Formats: sequence, C-alpha cells, structure tokens
Amino acid sequence: MSQPQPIRASLFVTCIVDQLYPEVGVSVVRVLRKAGVDVDFPEGQTCCGQPLYNSGFTVEARRLAERTLDILDDRGYVVVPSGSCGAMMRVFYLDLFADDPEMLARANDLSHRIYEFTEFLSDVVGYEPRTVGAANGGTTVAYHPSCHLLREMEVKEAPQGLLDAAPGVERVELPDAEQCCGFGGTFAVKYPHISEEMLADKVAAATASGADTLTACDMGCLMHIGGAVSRQGLPLRVRHIAQVLDSGAG
Amino acid sequence: MGIPFNRVSGSQSGSLGIPSQQFRETVRAALGRESGAPAEPYEVLTQELPEIEAQAQAARDRIARERPELLDQLAATAGLRGWNVQRCEGAEEGLDYVAWLVRSLGATSVARSEQPVFDTAPVDAAVAGAGGLCWPAVYDGPASRTEVRQRLAESGMGITGADYAIAETGSVVVLPRRGLSRLVSVVPPVHVAIVRPSDVVGTLDDLFALRRLEYARDGGEMGSYLNFITGPSRTADIEQTIVVGVHGPREVHMVLLNKE
Amino acid sequence: MAEVVTRQFVPASQAAVKDAQLRQALRRAGTGFDGTRREAIEEVTPGVWEQWRVQARRIKEHTIGHLDYYLEMLERNVTAAGGRVHFAVDAEQANAIVSEIARANGVWTVTKSKSMVSEELGLNHVLEAQGIDVFETDLGEYIIQLADETPSHLVAPALHKTRGQVAQLFADQLGVPYSDDIEEMARIARVVLRQKFLDADMGISGANFLVAETGSLVIITNEGNGRLCTSAPRVHVGLAGMEKVIPSLQDLAVFLRLLPRSATGQRITSYMSMVTGPRRSEDEDGPEEFHLVIVDNGRSRLLADPALRESLYCIRCGACLNVCPVYQRVGGHAYGWVYPGPIGSIVTPGLVGVGQAKDLPNASTLCGACRDACPVQINIPRMLLHLRHNIAEGPEQYEGTGSDTESLLARGFASVMSSPRLLNIGRRIGRRLLAPIAKGGVLGPTRIPLVSRWTRARDLPIPAPRSFSEVWRDELAGQQSNRSGD
Repeated sequence: MSQPQPIRASLFVTCIVDQLYPEVGVSVVRVLRKAGVDVDFPEGQTCCGQPLYNSGFTVEARRLAERTLDILDDRGYVVVPSGSCGAMMRVFYLDLFADDPEMLARANDLSHRIYEFTEFLSDVVGYEPRTVGAANGGTTVAYHPSCHLLREMEVKEAPQGLLDAAPGVERVELPDAEQCCGFGGTFAVKYPHISEEMLADKVAAATASGADTLTACDMGCLMHIGGAVSRQGLPLRVRHIAQVLDSGAG
Repeated sequence: MGIPFNRVSGSQSGSLGIPSQQFRETVRAALGRESGAPAEPYEVLTQELPEIEAQAQAARDRIARERPELLDQLAATAGLRGWNVQRCEGAEEGLDYVAWLVRSLGATSVARSEQPVFDTAPVDAAVAGAGGLCWPAVYDGPASRTEVRQRLAESGMGITGADYAIAETGSVVVLPRRGLSRLVSVVPPVHVAIVRPSDVVGTLDDLFALRRLEYARDGGEMGSYLNFITGPSRTADIEQTIVVGVHGPREVHMVLLNKE
Repeated sequence: MAEVVTRQFVPASQAAVKDAQLRQALRRAGTGFDGTRREAIEEVTPGVWEQWRVQARRIKEHTIGHLDYYLEMLERNVTAAGGRVHFAVDAEQANAIVSEIARANGVWTVTKSKSMVSEELGLNHVLEAQGIDVFETDLGEYIIQLADETPSHLVAPALHKTRGQVAQLFADQLGVPYSDDIEEMARIARVVLRQKFLDADMGISGANFLVAETGSLVIITNEGNGRLCTSAPRVHVGLAGMEKVIPSLQDLAVFLRLLPRSATGQRITSYMSMVTGPRRSEDEDGPEEFHLVIVDNGRSRLLADPALRESLYCIRCGACLNVCPVYQRVGGHAYGWVYPGPIGSIVTPGLVGVGQAKDLPNASTLCGACRDACPVQINIPRMLLHLRHNIAEGPEQYEGTGSDTESLLARGFASVMSSPRLLNIGRRIGRRLLAPIAKGGVLGPTRIPLVSRWTRARDLPIPAPRSFSEVWRDELAGQQSNRSGD
C-alpha cells in the first residue's frame, strides 16, 4: 500500500510559547508529526499583533500583522496552537486591513489557510490519537474552552473530540466551562480586581471538576489560570492540549 | 427665563421641541444619505389593499381549516402561560363555570364589558344566581367616571370577551372601545375572558395581518388601544421571586368555548 | 440629564466586587435570567431562533439606515391618529417638553411605567422641582425611586437589592411595619400605587417599539402598571429614543418572540399594549391627549459612526448583561450611568462622550458571550475594539483620552516584536534579572510596577532559557513527520 502524501503545514508558534513555554511548542510539533504532518517553522516570527489590537493600537498592530503576513504568505496551511492568536489572524486581520485592498487580499488568503492546532488535527488531518496520552497510565482532564477559540474561531468540538479519543485520557466536565477565565490580555492588569474574581471562579470550577489536569488550547488563559493554581499550591496540573496529547509529556 | 424649545404653532395642536424637519435633517446628516424613501422599498410597506386583503384572507382560510387544532393549541399554551383554562361545549357550560367561580370567590360585585359575546351568554343572570351582582362597566358621562372607577376598584372580578385569542402565545387580545373599558380586565383581582372559536387565530403573524387589513381599509383606523393579555399580572423585581397580582389580576380564567 | 459618574468605574467596581450581598444578588439574577433564556431558546425549533435573529437584525438595519424617513412616517401617522409628536435634541429639551405638557394640562400627579429614556433624562427630578408628584409604578423602579438610586439592570432595575434591604426601605419610607415577605411587599406597593393610578393626571411610559406604518407605541410589561399608566390618566406621554422605530405592524411579530425570551426567558410577557393616539370619541375610556416625545440626546453621534451604528439596534433585553462576566461581578451601578453592561459600554460613551467613560470599553475581556446572546446579533466586542482604537489613537474628538504611558509601552512592544533578535536579547536580559528572585521558574508577589498587578494573585513564569525558535533550530528542524519518516 502506498503511503499518502504527507500534509505540509507551517507552525506559527505564538510569542508566548516561543518565549515562555517552548515545551508546548515541542509537544505541538511532536503531535503534528505523529499525525503525519510535515511541519515547517518559518523563521523570524514573533507576535501576531493581537495584544496591541485588543488595546486599540491598530497602527502598531498593523506593523506586526504586516510582518507576520510577510512570513506566512505562500506557506500553505498555517497551524497555530492558540485560539486567540488564531482569531486575530483569521478574523481580525480582515478588520485591521479593511481599508487597504492589497493587504486585505493577503489577510484574506491567510484567513483561509490558518487553523488552530486541534481544529487542524480534527478537520484537516482527521487525526485520531492512538498512543497513550499520559506516560504514567491515565489522566482525568477538564477542558476549558477559551473564548476566542470558541466564539471567534468557532472551534467547539475538535478539542473535546481529540481528548475523548485519546487512550488513557478521561475527560470530565468543567462546570460553567464557557465562562471566561478573566485573562483578556491587558484586562488582567488594567482591572485586576475584576479579573481575579473571574479567575477565582474558574479555579474553583476546575477543582470541583475532580480532574487532575486542566487543559485548554491557549497558553494565555493557561498562564493566567496556572498562575493562580501555582500561587495557591493546588494539586492540579495545567497543560496545553498539545502536552496532553503528546505521549510522554504528561 | 428662556425655554429651550420653539413652538411651531398653537400650543394645543403644535409640537414642542425642535421642528421635526430639523430633527430629521440631523439624522439624515448622520446617516449621510439623501432625503426621500429608501432606494429599495421595504417590501411589506409596498403592499396595496388587495394584497393585504389576500394575506388576511389566506390567514382566515388557514385558521378555519385548522380551527380544532388551534383550539387545542390555545388551551395548552394558555395553560402554560398562567391562564386557568376551562374548555366548554357552549355558552351554557361557560356560564356554569363563571357562576362556580363567583361562588367560590365569594365575589359580590362583578364588572363586565358590554360586548356581543354577552348577547349569547347572559352572564348577568348566571352571576346573580351565584349571589353576585354583575354590572356593565360603561360610562354614561363624565360625571360617572369617578363612580365607575371606584366601583371597578371594589369589584372582585372583571369579565370580558376577546377580540382575538392567539394559539401561538396563549394570549387574549382585547381592543378596548365602546362598551369595553380598558380597566375591566386590569383593575379587578380576577379576570375572566370568554373566548369563542371564531376569536382564535394561529400566530402573531395572523393577528397582525388581520389588524393591518382593518387599518388599510377605509380611513385607516388602528383603534386607540390593542392589548395582549397572557396570564396573570406578575413581577420578579425582588430577588427574582415571582409574585402574581401586582397591579393587575392575580388570577385569570379563560373560558374557551368549543361552539359559538 | 441623569448624573454621570462613569469616571468612577475603577473605585466603584473595586467596592462592588467586595460587596457580598451584591454578588449574591447578581449571581441569582444572572443564573436565573440566563438559565430561563437558554431554556426558552432551546424550546424553539433549532435554526428557527437564528432565523428570527437574522430577520430582526435586517429590520433594524433597514430602519436605522433610513431613520429620517421612518421618523417622518411615524410622525405623520401618530398625528393622523390624533396624537402629537415632539422632537428633543437633548435631555434638557426633552424635560422641558414634558414639563410644558404637564403645565398646559394642569398636571399635579404623574404615574410612570418603566422607561430607560426617562432615567437617562433624569426627568423625575425635573418634574418634582415643579411641584409635581411623580410615582414610578413598576415595582423595581418604585423601589429605586424610594431609595433615590438609578437602575442597575435594564429589565430588573432593583436587582442589586436584597429582600431585607427592600423591606427596610419600605419601613423607612412608607411607614409600614418591617416585613421581608416578598408577597407582602408587592401587596404594599399595589395598595400604595393603586390610588395613585386612579388619581394621576398624567401617565408617562417608555416605548419598546414604535410602529411607523400605524403610528403606534408598543410597551411590553408584566405587572399591568403599563396598562394603568396608559389608560387611567387624562394625558399619556410616551418617551422614546429615536431608534425605537420599526416599519410595519408585521415586523412586530418577530420582536415579540425575541424580546421576552431574551430578557426573562418568558415566551411572552403578561401584557403587550399598543397605543395609537388618544381615546377616540367612541371609546369607553383612555387618555384625552397622547404625546410622543422622540429623543436624540447623543444618538445621532452613534448613528454617524458606521462602526457604532449597530448599537442603536439594541432592544434593551438585558441578555448581554446576564451573560457578561464583568457585569456579573461589578453590577450595574459601577458603570456610572443609566445603561450598564456590554451594551452600556458602547451606548454610554456614545451618549455622554468617550472622554468621560474610557474605562467602559476597556473593562471587558472581549469574551464575546454578549454577542452570542444578543437577539439582534449586535457585535459588541467589535464595537468595544473600535472604541478602544478611538481612545488609543483615534480621530481628534477622542484625543487626550488615551494614556501616554500605555502608548509608549505599545510602541515599545511593537518595536521589540518587530525584531526577533531584540526579542531574544530581551528574553535573556529578563531571565537574568528575574531568575534570582524566581522560585520554581515563576515569579511570586513582587513590587515591580505593572507586574505587581499580575502577581498579586497569580505567579508569573519567567522567560525560558531557550526560546522555541532556538529549540527548533537546535533539535527539531532536521526531523520529519513520523509517517513520512517511517
């Protein structure tokens, strides 16, 4: 039997993973490769511009968006392990360049090629996790759907489907799962008193779920939730979904 | 002292505030559009009388075809929306129910409207038989206005007919006019609506199609008031706890007749 | 106009999140309203709800897009029905119009049915200053009138008050014995207000919709107070923002389906009253005069900005408040004016000026729950972003609202992120500086400016020893996918 042609994809790893969580990027690459994807990592990538755009600095955001497009033009599939960066590139670039036809055309082209990590595995690759999720023989996982993944990219089923299919992973329901964790980028430092209230509820929900691991598709949210979990010394692991799906990284 | 508005014409007939033309000019400028009708006319508003008639007729035909089902649907929906629904074969059975209600509530004063439905359903006698006094809440002249209101405020029950009843929503629709004070169905603590099969329509769309026809026909009269009543008066303004009978009736009964 | 304290958002919200009673009230209302809303939507055939939303949005889009035309049609038809239409550019003018109507009719007692526009205008105090007794008759509005407060929610004005607080208020203000029995409190309000209804010379109502084709004012209520206000007094005055117009009677059907379900989860409210002019000579009763006051008060500014225009599609159902994680923590009063929550964060800056309310568009995580809940599909996050842009670097009317520090930080961030080399240098410096004070790879509580706002409740990871780019270059680049490499 002939091997199917491998699917090629470029990874946009996001600046937060690049600078703070390189191990997440490693898991992303390993899972993609396990799924038979030929992964490429375009050089020079940094930030997609989302934090600036969300704070209203569209001029500065455009600078970063433009250089991101320079890097990702003509690259075929682009996979990004984040719903919020993915939403920026798929949805908000179109707004950002609405009055610049040339840039808009490039943004529009990217918007059709860009996929969030689990969305890509599920909708493009049709990947079914076959190897054991956790090295130490089984894990219970609660999934937090991050807001931009859920409501801007409209990815709802893919992450849960992958978790449900992964041997050794038992998914448990996260109470009030679709409630925002309170991160919101600069919101967390502009209005910490509100952010912390939301965060407290999310952490309480994760604890109540009974899971040993909380997962999501966005390191921003997980940095936020994980920051509280570590501060409070709670017995809960906080992992990007790529780490959960990456056998041995459990 | 300066008053910040202009009188356009005499104080009783004119408008206060800024002239409407000027107000619309501001709106137009904000929209950045030319004056006049929308370039692409709004479809519903382009309809001429024959079309509106045809639409109303289509609704009537469908309602006539589906009447038994609509009566069932109305009874079910109205029940869910808080009506006490009493289905009756005809007027006689309906009046028995009203009499029973009057007796069980111990209502001595029962207000009613003057509507055609009471020609075939002699409610006064039924109420009298149950020990109450049923009186038509109509004003003879300005002098009796206060008196009627005071009497209404003291009545234990108000009985009206229905101009329409909507199966989709479980609503009774009343068009207050001569013979029907706006207050009969809202002031007394118990309201009884007598609904005939011919009052029933299927949906909100049916109702508005029929009303639009009344409006489009000679002179374009909408009537000053149209009221949907769907269940009892209620509030949840304190701790989201539902309390019935705030300013309107705490109890509403729909006497749904299967035959006219 | 009602007092604007939007500048106090930060201290007000700081106080609000610490208020346990408020939190309890918000939680009860939020989960209650939103739970019944979801049930009501689920009951509708799948897909049909979405069709209604699309249809409603189209109606609003068309009407607002040709508002001048429909206002003229409305005025013509109200007038033909014997009513009078008055136009007010601002709050002062609107209040003056109502005052003049009251004066001309010798009005001493007014009963009011719920009107957010009246709250916006601060009408009650203006009438009271002229010696007129004004009674709010919606139970929630009555409560906040007694407390001399503003509403904290679009459909449940007294949501922030517990039963005990209401009981105390009634005891203090009405001289009744203290009772926190909710039925009893509702009964007291009924008794007090019943006589007012019958005595009132003038009734004032808001408007949920204005039907241009027929010149009708539509109000949707549950208590029956709206019916009494529009029926018993000699004069009825309807107050409406200019955006309330819809073209045809037939358009009303879809809104009657959407509004109650979105607001309280009811399939329909107890009452829908449609008023078309004053009583006719053949009518049994009803007001002798009907006046409609159409208010701009800043709405034309929202209309003029294509990016904000859709905020005028709002039907004030409050669904966005009930799903908003920020509103649910801070409550309505923190927003500092009449319209709270996600839609308030657009409308308030629009009506009172962005310069006064720049916290409102920023105090959101852009989670998007509001847009999903909105029955007319208003893209609230998109408009919040637009306002943020206007504040940060937008057109001249917003100049001076942005923060210089923030702008500097943004430019610095963009510069670093424009250069992978700079970014990596920055990371190494950051790591070298922070590693000594970090524990287990994370930063605990610290006094570093800005960073401390994060670390007061959360640990912060310090930059990694190697970036992913470096790991890729050193370890991953050469390898191939498993399948193709087999």
